[in-house]
Amino acid sequence: MSLLEIKNLSIHFVTRYSDVHAVNGVDLTIEEGKTLGLVGETGAGKTTTALGILRLIQKPQGRYESGEIIFKGKDLLKATDDEMRSVRGNEISMIFQDPMTALNPILTVGDQIAEVIHLHGKCSQAEANERAVKMLEMVGIRAERAGEYPHQFSGGMKQRVVIAMALACNPSLLIADEPTTALDVTIQAQVLEMMADLKKGRGTAMLLITHDLGIVAENCDDVAIMYAGEVIEYGTLERIFHNPKHPYTLGLFGSIPSLDKDEERLHPIEGLMPDPAALPAGCKFHDRCAYATDECASCEQELAEMESGHKVRCARVMKGEI
Amino acid sequence: MAKYIIKRILWMIPVMLGVLIIVFTISYLTPGDPVITILGSGYTPEKYAAKAAELNLDKGYFGQLGSYIWGIVTRFDFGKSFYSNLSITGEFARRFPITAALGIFGCIIMVVLGLPLGILSAVKQYSVLDYTLTVIALVLAAMPGFVLAILGLVLFGVRLRWLPITGLDTPKSWILPLATNAMPCVAMIMRQTRTNMLEVIRQDYIRTARSKGLSERTILWKHALKNCLIPIITVTGGMVAMVMAGSIITENIFNIKGMGTYMYAAIMQRDYPIVNGCVLLIAFIVCCVNLIVDICYALIDPRIRARYASSGKKHKKKAHKEVT
Repeated sequence: MSLLEIKNLSIHFVTRYSDVHAVNGVDLTIEEGKTLGLVGETGAGKTTTALGILRLIQKPQGRYESGEIIFKGKDLLKATDDEMRSVRGNEISMIFQDPMTALNPILTVGDQIAEVIHLHGKCSQAEANERAVKMLEMVGIRAERAGEYPHQFSGGMKQRVVIAMALACNPSLLIADEPTTALDVTIQAQVLEMMADLKKGRGTAMLLITHDLGIVAENCDDVAIMYAGEVIEYGTLERIFHNPKHPYTLGLFGSIPSLDKDEERLHPIEGLMPDPAALPAGCKFHDRCAYATDECASCEQELAEMESGHKVRCARVMKGEI
Repeated sequence: MAKYIIKRILWMIPVMLGVLIIVFTISYLTPGDPVITILGSGYTPEKYAAKAAELNLDKGYFGQLGSYIWGIVTRFDFGKSFYSNLSITGEFARRFPITAALGIFGCIIMVVLGLPLGILSAVKQYSVLDYTLTVIALVLAAMPGFVLAILGLVLFGVRLRWLPITGLDTPKSWILPLATNAMPCVAMIMRQTRTNMLEVIRQDYIRTARSKGLSERTILWKHALKNCLIPIITVTGGMVAMVMAGSIITENIFNIKGMGTYMYAAIMQRDYPIVNGCVLLIAFIVCCVNLIVDICYALIDPRIRARYASSGKKHKKKAHKEVT
């Protein structure tokens, strides 16, 4: 049994003026101890999917239209609020994109870590504090800094604190939502390395959300490419990186400048992602796709298995035309 | 922190001195001779000179100012009323506790009602409760205090006869003055709390707190409330001045023998020593409230606490430079 299985998950944001289809029929599977990379442009629905797993979608606008989120054999969408609270921070925890705003400015970092240990660890406050300090040391922050406030830390240090907080209760799944996007490049490498080490040592599975294919290549076992709220290509790291099929995935790889060739210009994918409040019929990518036919504009595409461990949402690829 | 507080207290001295000089100068320059007003027509030059000497009005501007300041600093003596010849300090001692009690209870009501209602309104945003509270708050905040006071008097005092209409003799008689004084402030605190709370509960760190599995109650009280308190404290500080000013109207409508009625009568009679004394007292209270507000900031927000500590050092350096 997989650790987490998301089936046909759809999340819409409904307001009086618009109906935003943020996530549309997403299927994902994460095996125990493995890392799944979720890749896509800004607005592809990656963060919504992640928040959706923890049921942290903003209410009342955010709604689950369909789907199941099976975590350790239990559907989280059917769990009560109390059950959900015992999952959050304990079995599934999350690292957010911007460490500058993710910590409460008026509580000491030690407090903020101890809080989650005290809540789920069923231990005394003193013991929680002690364990919080140990967590800080584990992410490379000196113990005596536990009594300091977030504004006394740099961005990279804050992200370490957030990571310490997320791992404090030994979760079986860690959701990392662009954990390094807000950090500068030298710190990015440090933080990623540290996360990989901690993860390996504890056997934590991870959902790594990013738009950086380099990070995916170094950290993930499986990759899912998202576009306009759908998974359009899904497979093992090797399959996706060595044999990408979907025109959008090809475009993503094509947009990375090569170091070997002397290139004058970058090769972006032409056009913009469709407005999630007014998605096109048929394949969501057809108006930017070089291979699109009339059929693409009218027929819904299915995420179909091309080979074992490699799924693609494109009719032409499946027919072998691309 | 202690250094900062001491520094702020010392700063109150020049501020108060400035207020004192301005207030005194205004009343000095105001046209009209108080001696003539007191004596009425048909006085003799001797009588005039004697009265002027008695009131300390025969000296020049600096002489009068000097003896005024000297009296306040050494004897806490604000002089005497032109008309009744009663010591102003004595009147203050009698009347200020009444106004202070009204003000302090008013502030307590303001916080005890305004804060929770604002939080409730924010947490249940767009509910019937939220809309109801919003409408009530808007009406209360928009209505001038005297209208509210008179409406209250007519309804509860005259029609229903539930509450006495004047004085502060029985516990029941406190209800109307307190309510009319505090209600507009309750409304404003409530609105401010709602706005801040809505802003704070959308912050990333609240989402982090949720992702940790904390209960909504813990999130609200431990993570959100303190963060939304700072603007509310600022507004509350301003409200204290409003409550003081409001006391002039409330006390006159309900015929309460506090600072409000005293000051009102003095202004109508142009009894300048009293007006000056009252203004000084209000300025002093506002200074104290500002100090308390700033200390509260530091108690709540570690970032401000850090800035206070570092600004103390900077100021010292600057002051040293100025001396040398």
